[in-house]
Amino acid sequence: MTAHEIEEYLSPMRHEFADPRSLILPALKFAQGDSGWLPAEDMAAVAEATGFSQAYVESVATFYDRLYVEPVGRRVINVCVTLSCMLRGSDEIFDHLADYLGLDGEGTTEDGMFTLAKVQCIGACDRAPCLQIDSGEQIGPLEPADATCLVDDLREQPAPARYER
Amino acid sequence: MAEHDDGLIVLTINGREVRAPKGTMLVDAAKAAGIEIPIFCYEPRLGAPIGACRMCLVEVEGMRGLQTACSTPVAPDMVVNTESEVAKDAQDGVLELLLANHPLDCPVCDKGGECPLQDRTFRFGPGRTRSLEPKLHFPKPLDLSPLVALDRERCIACFRCVRFSQEVAEDGQLTFQERGDHTEIATFSGDPYEGRFTGNTIDLCPVGALTSNPYRFVSRPWDIKNTPSVCAGCSMGCNLEITEREGDVKRLTGRPEPNMAVEEGWICDRGRWGYPALRSADRLQAPVLADAVGRRNVPLERAVTEASGLLAARGARVGILLGDAVTVETGFLACELAARVGGGTPAMVARTGIPGHGLGPMRALPGAQMDDIDGADVVLVVGGDPCTQQPVAELRIRGARRAGAQVAVIGPRPTALDASCEALRTTPGHLLDAAAVINERLQGSERAVVLWDEADLAAEPAAAEAIARVVAATPGARAIEMCADVSGPGLRALGIPAAGDLLTALEAGAIDILLTIGADPTAGPAGDRWAAAADRAGTIIEMATHRTGLTDRATLVLPMLAPLEDEGVLVSMTGRAQRLRPGAREAAGAAAAWEMIVGITHRIGSPVPDRTPAQAFRRLAEQHAAFAGLDYRVIGSEGAAVAPVPQDPGVPARGPVGDGLLVVPCAPVFGDAVAHRSDALEAVREPSRVALAPAEAERLGVRTDARVRVTTPEGTVVLPLEIDSRLHEGAVYLVMGDPASGAARLLPGDRGPVHAAVSAAAREEVGA
Ligand code: SF4
Ligand code: SF4
Ligand code: FES
Ligand code: FES
Repeated sequence: MTAHEIEEYLSPMRHEFADPRSLILPALKFAQGDSGWLPAEDMAAVAEATGFSQAYVESVATFYDRLYVEPVGRRVINVCVTLSCMLRGSDEIFDHLADYLGLDGEGTTEDGMFTLAKVQCIGACDRAPCLQIDSGEQIGPLEPADATCLVDDLREQPAPARYER
Repeated sequence: MAEHDDGLIVLTINGREVRAPKGTMLVDAAKAAGIEIPIFCYEPRLGAPIGACRMCLVEVEGMRGLQTACSTPVAPDMVVNTESEVAKDAQDGVLELLLANHPLDCPVCDKGGECPLQDRTFRFGPGRTRSLEPKLHFPKPLDLSPLVALDRERCIACFRCVRFSQEVAEDGQLTFQERGDHTEIATFSGDPYEGRFTGNTIDLCPVGALTSNPYRFVSRPWDIKNTPSVCAGCSMGCNLEITEREGDVKRLTGRPEPNMAVEEGWICDRGRWGYPALRSADRLQAPVLADAVGRRNVPLERAVTEASGLLAARGARVGILLGDAVTVETGFLACELAARVGGGTPAMVARTGIPGHGLGPMRALPGAQMDDIDGADVVLVVGGDPCTQQPVAELRIRGARRAGAQVAVIGPRPTALDASCEALRTTPGHLLDAAAVINERLQGSERAVVLWDEADLAAEPAAAEAIARVVAATPGARAIEMCADVSGPGLRALGIPAAGDLLTALEAGAIDILLTIGADPTAGPAGDRWAAAADRAGTIIEMATHRTGLTDRATLVLPMLAPLEDEGVLVSMTGRAQRLRPGAREAAGAAAAWEMIVGITHRIGSPVPDRTPAQAFRRLAEQHAAFAGLDYRVIGSEGAAVAPVPQDPGVPARGPVGDGLLVVPCAPVFGDAVAHRSDALEAVREPSRVALAPAEAERLGVRTDARVRVTTPEGTVVLPLEIDSRLHEGAVYLVMGDPASGAARLLPGDRGPVHAAVSAAAREEVGA
């Protein structure tokens, strides 16, 4: 992703933000769409396009969990572990998924298909325990078996053209 | 009632009536009244308060919740309580949270014993923790740069270092990454933190998260002694503090009580980490005497006696050359000595450095101090490059720009200020053309400050005259001379001339004994001529800190103390007399130059009355108008202004010498002898090199990876080449780094304009 592409993406929305710092987030999200995460070059391109230092852009990127500065899998499975979900058995869901994916806790599968992550409340406590694939709909309530079916389904799907995380 | 006739606001803090000017923050108002409110993040030098740490919470009657005293301005009739139950509870709470993940490894922390977090915890904290959770741990330490170590688990996320990087140095490199308890200081992708001012983050850090690599585990605060002194790294004359342990300088820091009229508490990394040069391998360790018996070490007493014997010889024609970092007392005593040598034949006394004929009109302009830059509406930098030659000045100039001043950098060199200020690049050798632009920029200004470069304007007297006229015609405009030498302003105020006549006299065989004091003329401009001329003097007596090009030829070598070990006065580029205080035990076998001169006068049988630099200073102040009314007490810890002295009006009109391209000399302090002797600065010191514009390099048929031969009438040197598209064609930029490279020797003795021929060097040619 080049600084120029990012600038073009930003130009129609520039007037919406009084503080130019606010442009960094949409720019990062846009840049992340390409490869699903943010290599240093992409952050440098965002810095160039927004006029802030590379260090500052990286500081913003690392603040948010859903902006990835390390490579992640084709799909990111975010399992909610906050109170409601925890009381309704999110631990089991998480452990079951980790087991099924051959992971030792959070992490990315060897084939690069999946990243499994624990997240805080995703705003669907009425559907606890729940999870979210990338930035998609919250899915729940889940039994451990439902979760593994979900993974099987995802495996069948082609890689998205652009990543929405 | 609440607002007094004197404009002060009246409020109550802890039941006491306190007055403070409008706009004062509660912390400062309380402090002035002797009430301490604990702080971590508050530091006015870093800009507006940000309220990051919550340490300063106080109770203000009528306000909901607690207020941060660092960012709450005083208001009439405010009733503040810093010691109420609620306030104390908040202080306890904040400290308990700050310590929740803090490793408390004080026994192995360099900050332990001089740590605000320790002090505040003892004074305001809860005393014991209720937390049973395991603490967060990070591997430690991390090198933030070769010089600064980062211990992430000790960081309390106060933002001070980040604000310094973002808002003072404006290098944009330090930021926070992650959030919450995982917050850590970082640079982009873990690159090293690069810059000329990185060490200030160590002074700012209120905990042991940022520490100095060279000082790591070197001493504990109860083993050290701190002495306020002044940096002799460049003519800025930054105030600093010397940390001594067992007689050795172990560390230099900014002053805890900054001198706001000079450096504001900031020092550059060259100033901070130059001290290892005191113990470099080429430091002179013992006096040397060469006579019929041979060359051998002798005790200092004997060496001084020998020196007086030589200098006293009837009819001996003596020349005394003072170097670029000697104190005014040494300069004064050298003049006193001059009247006592040769059995009545007075010696010539001269200084290395720029003659400065033709600078009279510039020097006659009303002078400014560094803090005048803060309130200026226009700041012009004319010639030179403060960013590399007087680094801390750069921070002041950046501050003025942030405060709204129009800043323009005018001259032939690209500078680090170009990106954020107006950069007007002039054709080398044509500063005269800039007079019109300067005039334009000064139009309508009321408080302009013009920083001008001594070396550049001395090489262009016509430009100096024209620019001086423009500045003098601007009401309220004041000037600061960016001096090339540290001792220049002081020695000039004593009326000591540059060394041109001394060099001519030496070459004519009219000098029998050359006494050098802290000078190595063979490494500077016209170095080869000086080397040959010194040989014509039958006898060389050298007082020096380190080996020089004269050491092996000298009849007598007297090791002398360096500025960090010595006592005396240096005059900064703003004409401020400031005191050096010895921060270390005298190096073995060495003595202060002033003391050796006093000893010599005693042995000659015509003693000067002074026993201390203070006495010498008192006497010189009586004799020299520039220092009238000053003594050590008046100078104090803040320094005092030296009166301007009338300047030598002589303008030796001379055009450039030599063939080829005009030389633009660049003298970065990170390339000076101290930077090259200090192992701490290995990663950041500047090598000597030649820099050319791409088109010029092409025309000359030289490539980046090549070394080039540079020839001026003063000699030939082979140097690495750098191609830089920001440079002017038709000129050769000569960066004078490593003194051993001989680059500085290519300049003429009078530092006037010179041309150099540049050509590709044969592969095997190296060095000088
Ligand atoms: S490293 Fe020190 S100065 Fe920087 S944020 Fe942490 S505690 Fe503050
Ligand atoms: S700017 Fe000059 S005087 Fe100040 S610390 Fe650096 S070298 Fe020393
Ligand atoms: S706790 Fe899981 S969605 Fe709210
Ligand atoms: S000192 Fe007031 S919030 Fe940090």
